[in-house]
Amino acid sequence: MHLDFFNFFRWVLGTVVTIYATVVTWQSLYGWWVYFAGEGRYLSLMRRYVMVQGLRLRIKTFGGDVLVCILLLAVWVLLLRAHQLFAEIDSIYHGDGRQHSTIR
Amino acid sequence: MGDSIPQSDEGGAGRQIVLAEPQTVSGQAPNRQLSELPKDELANLAEGLGLDWTRYKTQQLLVSAVHERRQLIAGLDRQAMLDVVRWGRRPVTINAGKEQIAQEIARIRVMKFAGLSHRGLVALARLRGVEAAEDDPVPLLIRRLRKQEGFFSRLNRKRRAMLGGMVATIVGENSSATDYKYLPEPGNDANPAAGPAKPPSIRDEIEESGLFGGISNRLKKSADVYLNQKLDEIEARIDRKLDEIDRRLGEWRDKEIANRIKILKITLWASVIVGVVSLIYAYVTEYLMPPR
Repeated sequence: MHLDFFNFFRWVLGTVVTIYATVVTWQSLYGWWVYFAGEGRYLSLMRRYVMVQGLRLRIKTFGGDVLVCILLLAVWVLLLRAHQLFAEIDSIYHGDGRQHSTIR
Repeated sequence: MGDSIPQSDEGGAGRQIVLAEPQTVSGQAPNRQLSELPKDELANLAEGLGLDWTRYKTQQLLVSAVHERRQLIAGLDRQAMLDVVRWGRRPVTINAGKEQIAQEIARIRVMKFAGLSHRGLVALARLRGVEAAEDDPVPLLIRRLRKQEGFFSRLNRKRRAMLGGMVATIVGENSSATDYKYLPEPGNDANPAAGPAKPPSIRDEIEESGLFGGISNRLKKSADVYLNQKLDEIEARIDRKLDEIDRRLGEWRDKEIANRIKILKITLWASVIVGVVSLIYAYVTEYLMPPR
């Protein structure tokens, strides 16, 4: 069996980082959810204050960066699609039963 | 809720005493209850209502006088009584009844009636035991009140006024009769006529309450004003601090969000670059250098 180290590294890294980031993000979100779901005068004050801080946020301040992020995400999706198309081409051209790693 | 009285103390501008709606005066059958009271309690009650208990020889007469006074109070207009309280600068609780207001009015010994409304003057005259009708003119009412004061009371008042004048001269608070009197009060530039009455001078206070009473009243008021000023300063300082904390939190929030977006951007750039490299790598490995 032919093993492509570049693809192997890419897949392992992608999988580990994705799982790690997902777990850490959900943990953090759950922690904040539990904190803000508590009862009491001060927590109620905190909820309102955070809400006010959110409403005071100006789109103009971060609009440029957010736009760049959206564009990069679009490019990333296009690249993903390109990889899929490439894999399909690969199966058409090499549909002779050869064993090799592809990006499928 | 009822009326609101603007308080005219120097430090408490804008604060108001809110007065409750007039309470219904219940039907009284006080004779039996009053006659059961001990003599000293009855005397205190009579004095509180503005009666001189020493003038009544027997307890029965005093009971009768207290009863009459209560009936008189029940028949007075509450708004007129409040006018007197305002004019006399007496503190009134939010749910003060007519009798409580009358007790406060009984403590007012001022004989300068400037600033008091006509209905208030009528109520004051009745509470001081002067015959007063609703349509009596103001000068007549004032003349009757002065006449009712009595020789020795007037003499004592004049003596206190003189003493007050001396004290005012010593402390430098004496206002001359030739001073220009038509300037609006500070903080009441828009409508000088409708504002609260000018606070009494130390001379007036000594004339009303005596030397020590007047000076202690003045000291108390000065202390109140000082405390109010300090409280306002502390409040302003706390407000400034809170604004500062709010501003810093806002800055921290912006920095935090900018930082997170930066991390997200770097991750996306890395993903895109790796994706492009991967695509090129796949092209090269599959087509330019196909595996054998």
